[in-house]
Amino acid sequence: MQTDVASGNIDGVGTTLKPFQFRGRFLTALALRLSTAPDARFYEMLADRLEKTPNFFTDAPVIIDLEQSQAAVTPEALTELVADLRRRELAVFGLQGGDEALRAAAAGLGLISVTGGRDAPLRGALPSSEQKRPQRVFQQERPPMPEAQPAPAPEPEPAPIPQRVAPENKIVTMPVRSGQTVIADKGDLTVVGPVSSGAELFAAGNIHVYGRMRGRAFAGIDGDENARIFCQSLDAELLAIAGLYRTSDSLGADVRHKMVQIYLEDERLIVAPFG
Amino acid sequence: MSKVIVVTSGKGGVGKTTSSAAISAGLASRGHRTVVIDFDVGLRNLDMIMGCERRVVFDFINVIQGDAKLNQALIRDRRLDNLYVLPTSQTRDKDALTQEGVEKVLNELREEFDYIICDSPAGIERGAQLAMYYADEAVVVTNPEVSSVRDSDRMLGLLSSKTARAERGEEDQIKSHLLLTRFDPKRSGDGEMMSVEDVLEILAIPLLGVIPESPAVLRASNVGVPVILNEKSRAATAYEEAVARLDGEDLPMKIEGEKVPGLMSRLFGRSA
Repeated sequence: MQTDVASGNIDGVGTTLKPFQFRGRFLTALALRLSTAPDARFYEMLADRLEKTPNFFTDAPVIIDLEQSQAAVTPEALTELVADLRRRELAVFGLQGGDEALRAAAAGLGLISVTGGRDAPLRGALPSSEQKRPQRVFQQERPPMPEAQPAPAPEPEPAPIPQRVAPENKIVTMPVRSGQTVIADKGDLTVVGPVSSGAELFAAGNIHVYGRMRGRAFAGIDGDENARIFCQSLDAELLAIAGLYRTSDSLGADVRHKMVQIYLEDERLIVAPFG
Repeated sequence: MSKVIVVTSGKGGVGKTTSSAAISAGLASRGHRTVVIDFDVGLRNLDMIMGCERRVVFDFINVIQGDAKLNQALIRDRRLDNLYVLPTSQTRDKDALTQEGVEKVLNELREEFDYIICDSPAGIERGAQLAMYYADEAVVVTNPEVSSVRDSDRMLGLLSSKTARAERGEEDQIKSHLLLTRFDPKRSGDGEMMSVEDVLEILAIPLLGVIPESPAVLRASNVGVPVILNEKSRAATAYEEAVARLDGEDLPMKIEGEKVPGLMSRLFGRSA
């Protein structure tokens, strides 16, 4: 008699597959925060911003954040904004903030009302040079509960003070063994010693390995496409920069056991020997 | 100052128990008070290799659970009077081992013995983790083939992170030694097996010894005598030298088949 582990049935006869499951899910979305009512200049700047990185915004899930501007924005302006964004292939799905009339208008446009969430660094986008950053990342941590939160404080947030944060680089001077994982989530990772097959290295920045590199290396884990991997002797199982990867199979004999650097060029992972 | 040495490998069947028996017999014949503990709860093997399976009354688990005194469970070897075996239970499983219990038994043994050899089970589960947790040194037993080497590498990672010494801090790390077993110089020379150099390059730890593949090892197991105490063989000699190095002697490494195969096979060709 067979045991069906997946569904917990032990009779083994006529095993049933569960038709659905509820699963918790985190979702990363863009939040378009308005500081004023959208006017002609707003649309001009928005178009300009979206053109700079067209691929990044296509089909991106977006919520509209009116917490700072709900008094200035009318339901009609909101309708016009949503239509404009959808024309630009942004997947607008939610509204944060806004009074009752705005929420009613949003519901009519098929938007859900969301509360909570917090800003996170934006992956993959060009660093914004404008003063106004039109987007932020929003994390929906649980299903929205209507009226779950009191009305947001009316005073605007103080302007963020620009901070210079030193990168937190990491140096490992022992062999990295099979099954071990080393993470430098805020900077570069340098390993002085061998990295075994089955070991994993992660870094927000560059990865350097002074020793035989047989494991897996993931550089630019936050989306930094300028991150590089440097190996004294390449024999890696997998190399990845900003999510683009190559496996051992695709590394030619001409680079194996060589001193190499790996970098991204036109969305391709280049493995270039030194000298 | 007593030393706790774990004999471990990750992979099964590479020669942990054979090596534990040979190393403990070797240390005892060098005059050290030595005990060897079987951590492979449920798969009692060490007492058979040591030839004392008919004399087991109480075991390691009985002592941990307070059902027997340590002295009741220790079996004195019939050949060497400073060698003792602490057998394990055949009927329990590894969950019967507790960290506190293992620590208590080891502390008691440290009072009486120079060397405490812990024969680890295969795998990386509870039994293996507790066998290594209180160790001062480790003998990593490896065969010259890729899966064994990878598993040994994994064990070295655990030794440097999941042990009492690792948790206490940087300075006082476990000293790990490589014991390469079942080495066949001919097959290594033909490229069928990894060379000593290949293995050392991956594992990057000091080499304690290279034990040649030898029918003498199986014969010794079958009669329940540690290899080192049985007939004169190449394997016995290699174990003796490894034990001398473990005991702090600085012996030059002689590896068959590496560099001077002709001379070595002539020197050792007659034995075994």
